[in-house]
Amino acid sequence: MGRYVIRRLLQAVLTIFLALFLLHYLTSLSIQINGNPAYAFFGGQITPTQEQLRVVAERYHTDHPCLKRVGDPCLSNFMDTLGRYANGDFGQDLRFRPVSDQVVMRVPNTLRVFAINIATWAIAGIGLGMLAAVRREKFSDYLIRAGTIISGAVPTFLFVLALKYLAGVWIGGWLRDHLGDDNVLSIIFRPSWDEAHPWLTVILPGIALAVIGTAGITRLMRTSMLENIRSDHVRTAKAKGLTGGRVLLAHTLRNSLIPVVTLIGLSLGGALGGAVITEGLWNIRGVGQFVFNAVRQNDTPIVVGVVSLVVICYLLFSLLIDLLYAVLDPRIRYE
Amino acid sequence: MTDHNGFAAGGHGAPALEVTDLVKHFPIRQGIVFKSTVGQVKAVDGVSLTLRKGETLGVVGESGCGKSTLAKLLVGLETPTSGGISVRGEDVTRLGRSGMRRLRRNVQMVFQDPYTSLNPRMTVGDIVGEPFAIHPDVVPSGGRRKAVQDLLDVVGLNPDHINRYPHQFSGGQRQRIGIARALALKPEILICDEPVSALDVSIQGQVINLLEQLQDELGLSYIFIAHDLSVVRHIADRVAVMYLGKVVEIGTETEIYDSPMHPYTQALLSAVPVPDPTLRGHRDEITLEGDVPSPANPPSGCRFRTRCWKATDRCASEEPLLQIRHGAQHANACHFAAPRDVVHAVD
Amino acid sequence: MSDTQTIEATPPTAPVKAGPEKVRGLWSDAFHDLRKRPQVLVCSAVILLLILIAAFPSLFTGKDPRDCQLERFFGAPSADAWFGYDQYGCDYFAMTIYGARPSIVVGLLATATTFILGAVIGSIAGYFGGWVDAVISRTIDVFNSIPFVLGAILILAIWRSAGDTVWPLILALTVFGWTGGARILRGSFIEARGLDYVKAAKSLGASDSRVMFRHIFPNAMAPIVSLVPLAIGAYIEAEASLSFLGLGLKPPAVTWGSMISNNVPEVLAGHPRLLIIPALFLLSATISFALLGDAVRDALDPKLK
Repeated sequence: MGRYVIRRLLQAVLTIFLALFLLHYLTSLSIQINGNPAYAFFGGQITPTQEQLRVVAERYHTDHPCLKRVGDPCLSNFMDTLGRYANGDFGQDLRFRPVSDQVVMRVPNTLRVFAINIATWAIAGIGLGMLAAVRREKFSDYLIRAGTIISGAVPTFLFVLALKYLAGVWIGGWLRDHLGDDNVLSIIFRPSWDEAHPWLTVILPGIALAVIGTAGITRLMRTSMLENIRSDHVRTAKAKGLTGGRVLLAHTLRNSLIPVVTLIGLSLGGALGGAVITEGLWNIRGVGQFVFNAVRQNDTPIVVGVVSLVVICYLLFSLLIDLLYAVLDPRIRYE
Repeated sequence: MTDHNGFAAGGHGAPALEVTDLVKHFPIRQGIVFKSTVGQVKAVDGVSLTLRKGETLGVVGESGCGKSTLAKLLVGLETPTSGGISVRGEDVTRLGRSGMRRLRRNVQMVFQDPYTSLNPRMTVGDIVGEPFAIHPDVVPSGGRRKAVQDLLDVVGLNPDHINRYPHQFSGGQRQRIGIARALALKPEILICDEPVSALDVSIQGQVINLLEQLQDELGLSYIFIAHDLSVVRHIADRVAVMYLGKVVEIGTETEIYDSPMHPYTQALLSAVPVPDPTLRGHRDEITLEGDVPSPANPPSGCRFRTRCWKATDRCASEEPLLQIRHGAQHANACHFAAPRDVVHAVD
Repeated sequence: MSDTQTIEATPPTAPVKAGPEKVRGLWSDAFHDLRKRPQVLVCSAVILLLILIAAFPSLFTGKDPRDCQLERFFGAPSADAWFGYDQYGCDYFAMTIYGARPSIVVGLLATATTFILGAVIGSIAGYFGGWVDAVISRTIDVFNSIPFVLGAILILAIWRSAGDTVWPLILALTVFGWTGGARILRGSFIEARGLDYVKAAKSLGASDSRVMFRHIFPNAMAPIVSLVPLAIGAYIEAEASLSFLGLGLKPPAVTWGSMISNNVPEVLAGHPRLLIIPALFLLSATISFALLGDAVRDALDPKLK
């Protein structure tokens, strides 16, 4: 176990280091090819003085001479960046507010979105997958299959927009007219997030974000269930005379869940991208909206800082999951 | 060497293939970032054999004894750690690329599993004709189709099936395709790596008979690897028994089956089922204790001593060499070799 | 070879035909299987139409999407302008037609670049193994540790000055998209390397390139080829999402994603069609590719059924 933990930790540190270097190199290359991003600070209309440019360049660490040589990996600059990241300094936005403070303030709301997202995956994905497996080759199986293919092909932003206008504006409007503004249903069906009801108003966008991932989880759950239903240990359980329900729950479902839980973990990375669009469109004050606004305002340093921070968190999170797995399943340790 | 190989008097000619002190060790690597070699798996550890022209040498042993690695070494799929392999008196381990190509024409392999040894996306014609594509000088390109059809005919397949895919054939037919491919370059030696163990018992006989018939017609020499002694007995002229990377006993088929000297051979033979119900319970049965030790860390001295009922301190300190010992006509590697009939009834 | 009697029985000049039963390989088997499904026919027709629109938009509309006259703003659909006019008085049908090109081009090109790059890198890792494989696998891990859309957002945010071309989009999608194909091909190469027919070819003296291209590649390609239509659909989705965020092509280029993004405020202003029309076109593309891709994957990879 000790060896495994050490190996996994070393691996995680190396991956974080290399991932940050990749982000750093892409940024440096873009500055080397496209020129100083400090111009963005002043917008397109104003031509800044040299002095103003120098101040801005210093703030964003774009004054390093290596940024003028195309292809230079800018290693000293990278070491500086790593040092600043280690001190919790992920840069500032164009109004000189620290990115890290903003992110810390916004994390709880993003976690709320992800809580709804994961709950949807678990309930809808596992439930529909089980149903499709049990009713294999029957109408509901085909319906679920077609549904997952089609819903997986709808871009998240269209789902969010559809939900915003159909559920938030149309149904929500009817509810507010008939039940009053303060009814729970009226609040859930609001077309945008409300700080006063941070949980209720996050349900609809959380579900919209979950749709794409649900398709994959449903399909995996179905195949995983089918594999287990055909397996020898389930056949043995049936031969022993256990009831259908018990076989399904104790012997099939539990084993089928292992790959599905792994996929849920893997899908979180993809959902991070969708969260940018969902939070942006639903005005949820989370980390995703931060990126959404920064993109809209051409505030590149924030995008770089937040993405770096998110990547670090994501890698630490997957490290934690891996270690948890090793505790739960001893086979993994001996790989 | 020849005295160790225990040839019976017979019409077999000069050596076709000679193996001397062949060794193949696979390194075991370990490490988080930097790998270091922490040990060696001694798959083949000092094997010497001679295969004469036109004879069949059976190689038997449990799985993991190194017989498949030996086969791969002989056809050049692995390079030996040390030792020599000579074909018609020429040492092939010292050959360059072009020499290897020449060797490969002379030594060909029939694989164990006819389901995985044929490329599923190639037609039978392409599979059997591939040797001609690799060695274009063997058959001029215009005559290849005819040559492939001849080969199919030789192994007992319909030459019209040249455009079919492997999945349209049965296991036995697939193995015939594999044999046709091995014969394409007109080799003198075929290495058969358990060629029938993946087939149904009813088909095994047909393939064995085909191999024997081809040997008579084409004058081939076979090294026939198997874990099943009854199959080997049917086809082999001489038999080598391997244990943990070493040959422990070698002799003619009759010598090995009627008067086995090494305790391991005796144990293997006693486990062979005999199709005679009257013998049941009347044979000398030997049940081995324990498992085969790891080839990464074999026992000192005699490698079989951890499972041998005859083992003494001498076996741990002194390695028994493969030689003809007192009371035997053929070579074995046991300090306490003694004949014991385990095939026939004892009372 | 000794025996020629049976050969003489068949006239040597007669071309040997495949027997009475049809002999097919995996690819033609899959093709015949697919041809029978209505879902495949409909989706293929939609996809062909969209590719035709993307290649020759002027065949479908005589109007110029940039010919905008403010006095026509929010003009209703008519026989002359099927989809009406947008807030600047541009012909919305012409815009929708011309908006197909970026989506289709990005979908096809990004699939091509990611799959070729992924296939090359993956096969190198899988064929050579050892430290080459270790380095490539680590690299794949690093690229995978950056969530796809976030990575693409980052690249496009810092490369956005590149202007009115699809290349920054392709670059962004390729940089973070190649790992999928590479992983699949690496896996199939490692699997194939141990197969007996590869050993058989090697024992015959086949060269590395022959083993790779005749034996391993054709067998390793099936799982990756079966994913091509799905990947095209996914990249069209990604292109639309990035354009929606304002990270795609810059005006005056028209894309479905930016048309949707620009007209979000018009939904409540009483012009929902300005959002629904490009959305329907986008969905017809992504759903057609997804349904076709599902069928292709089934046909080529029977294990998943």
